[in-house]
Amino acid sequence: MNLQEYFSLVFSDYTLRTITLGTAILGAVTGMLGSFAVLRKQSLLGDAISHAALPGIAIAFLITGAKDSNTLLIGALISGLIGTFWIRGIVTKTHLKSDTALGLVLSLFFGFGMLLLTFIQKQPNANQAGLDKYLFGQAATLVESDVWLMAIVTGICLLIMLTFWKEFKILLFDADYTKTLGFNTKFIDILITSFIVLAIVLGLQTVGVVLMSAMLLAPAAAARQWTNSLSVMVLLAAIFGAFSGVFGTAISASQNNLSTGPVIVLVAAVFVVISFLFSPSRGLLFKRIRFIKNRRDLELHKTLTFMHHIAETHEDISHPHAIKLLNNFQGYTRTTLQKLVDKDYVELHGNMWSLTKTGFETAANLYTKQSTEDE
Amino acid sequence: MSSAQIEIQLIACVVAVACAIPGTFLVLRKMAMISDAISHSILPGIVVGFFITQDLNSPLLILLAAFTGIITVVLVEYIQKTGLVKEDTAIGLVFPALFSIGVILIAKNANDVHLDVDAVLLGELAFAPFDRLLIAGTDVGPKSLWVVGTILLITITLLVLFFKELKVSTFDKGLAASLGFSPAIIHYGLMSVSSVTTVGAFDAVGAILVVALMIAPAATAYLLTTDLKKMLALAIGFGIFSAIFGYWVAHWLDASIAGSITTVLGLVFLLVYLFAPSKGIIAVMYREKQQRTEVSLLTFLLHLKNHDEIEERHVNHLNEHINWQKVRAKTVLDLAQKNNLIHIENKVVSLTKKGDKFTSKAINYIITNEDTQIEDMKDDFFLFRG
Repeated sequence: MNLQEYFSLVFSDYTLRTITLGTAILGAVTGMLGSFAVLRKQSLLGDAISHAALPGIAIAFLITGAKDSNTLLIGALISGLIGTFWIRGIVTKTHLKSDTALGLVLSLFFGFGMLLLTFIQKQPNANQAGLDKYLFGQAATLVESDVWLMAIVTGICLLIMLTFWKEFKILLFDADYTKTLGFNTKFIDILITSFIVLAIVLGLQTVGVVLMSAMLLAPAAAARQWTNSLSVMVLLAAIFGAFSGVFGTAISASQNNLSTGPVIVLVAAVFVVISFLFSPSRGLLFKRIRFIKNRRDLELHKTLTFMHHIAETHEDISHPHAIKLLNNFQGYTRTTLQKLVDKDYVELHGNMWSLTKTGFETAANLYTKQSTEDE
Repeated sequence: MSSAQIEIQLIACVVAVACAIPGTFLVLRKMAMISDAISHSILPGIVVGFFITQDLNSPLLILLAAFTGIITVVLVEYIQKTGLVKEDTAIGLVFPALFSIGVILIAKNANDVHLDVDAVLLGELAFAPFDRLLIAGTDVGPKSLWVVGTILLITITLLVLFFKELKVSTFDKGLAASLGFSPAIIHYGLMSVSSVTTVGAFDAVGAILVVALMIAPAATAYLLTTDLKKMLALAIGFGIFSAIFGYWVAHWLDASIAGSITTVLGLVFLLVYLFAPSKGIIAVMYREKQQRTEVSLLTFLLHLKNHDEIEERHVNHLNEHINWQKVRAKTVLDLAQKNNLIHIENKVVSLTKKGDKFTSKAINYIITNEDTQIEDMKDDFFLFRG
């Protein structure tokens, strides 16, 4: 199947439609919530939570003995939340730093989950096969009810976000101020964190533990480059996330042996790379161009100042000098000289140059006041 | 105990020690999450190495994997330096991307061989004794013991040689640079050791256990001491204890050894987290409660000093006016009496001479807010600080 076939089939084929819709919704909701995680400097929280959810899945299975995906998700949600609050406890109550707390909870919970999983595998219960799908994710196992669940959770997220938009925003940028305004910061904080945990847990089945953290970060990090406004960033991140989901699914469906999760992550990574390079105000490319332009301007100024020093020694400022004089000066090149001529600062006569009146004045004022023409 | 059991425990212990040493420095340098990133992003290195050699036991695999680990660190630093995102975001962007590339490479090309993501990430210690190292036809022990043992020897040698440099650059980068040892070289040295250790150990115990063995013992030790040498020793001790105890838990439960070692590490951390003498949660909460009482006491004494009226100083009035619950009021009252700061006559509280002097000093301290003032006060009055 190639990409064109995929797009013609996506509306008619049940499986393809479900998976595409599922990954698109997942990408949108993780992008949306990921923006908050990135701005709150909790980028790696997603990584920790997605690992911490594993024992919850195993325990939920041990208790119920059934592989109902909703029960398992609730188990994952509970152990994810326990992990999150333990991380917070470690950071606030001890002198261990947040990275240590994240790494600890991540590896300890995951290890404990592995212990439980292997323990379950030894049980005489034929039902247990497939629990490890949660480790690496398998979008193909998505069914319509999962997509409905995702859509409902996304809807609730959206509703809560719009209701508490002002509170979220102010908490994000000035937590202390929020407190003095009398907002219940703890409540808002727990609300955001819980929704981040929820989004991660939802994605476990689709892209798996390891890649879930990228889904949370990449769209948000890409969106951040294009805007300084929170609302635009959240919107962009949701769009990037949804597109990563759709394109990732399309590419993996059009090839053999290509698991969906990693492809979605790589598509999201491409969004990040493009944003890093080409965003107009922060992107590396335009930054580089601005840097080169500034350096050129500076060299022009240097040449002009140097000429000004020479001209100062003469009574007539437009006294011609040989171009040779400039030879051991570093800022000087043929092109810079031509540029100065274009700006009417310098006149060229054969091998001689002379400063014009405007050129002399500009050079004299170059470092004392900002010359508006050169801006 | 069979010889295979002894060998498994021996391997687990060697891995634990080899991880605890770089782990201690990672925790101190606030780079713990780098170990998690490395443990995932070595995957493409292993896969490419496997494609080249077609042999899972080739040393080239370890080299390439360690190289990928270094690439991860360099990429993270490069992205961070552009200033477009923060460091943690940079880590979170780099390793899933590299990991995805690894997964896709495996899925596309190596479906029919024994190389799957589960094996790389999860590892199985129980199989380690079956993979023997043969030198000229003689069996000299499990291969992973040799690999990790060599890495451990190198790590210890480097640690002894560069202990001073490591110590200084960990706690004061500026000082290290001014003393003439390049923080960059030490940084990349440490990263290389962590990377090689991760690679050498994941084959035996799996990537996640490597992360757990690096971070957990060091973090546990850090709650108990602030002395670097003691911290290293404690971390190694916790690692070895968890390795051996975890093995027997796994034996008893008939479950994954790596999983149960991690679980034991977690339990040890939890115990220390709760009960550590000065930094444990219970100690911290007790101290906070004491401090609250002290502040209440101070408020109470200031109240007494400001009010001469009898009715303002009546015991029952305390509850209403300062708005304390009965229990707290009684604690504060008892504490003040025990320290001879107040005396009570007919249920009317008044300051003693000592109490008066203390309160004046306290006001003085609050107004000037100079730390030197409080030092004297601690010596003279604070009998209740323990």
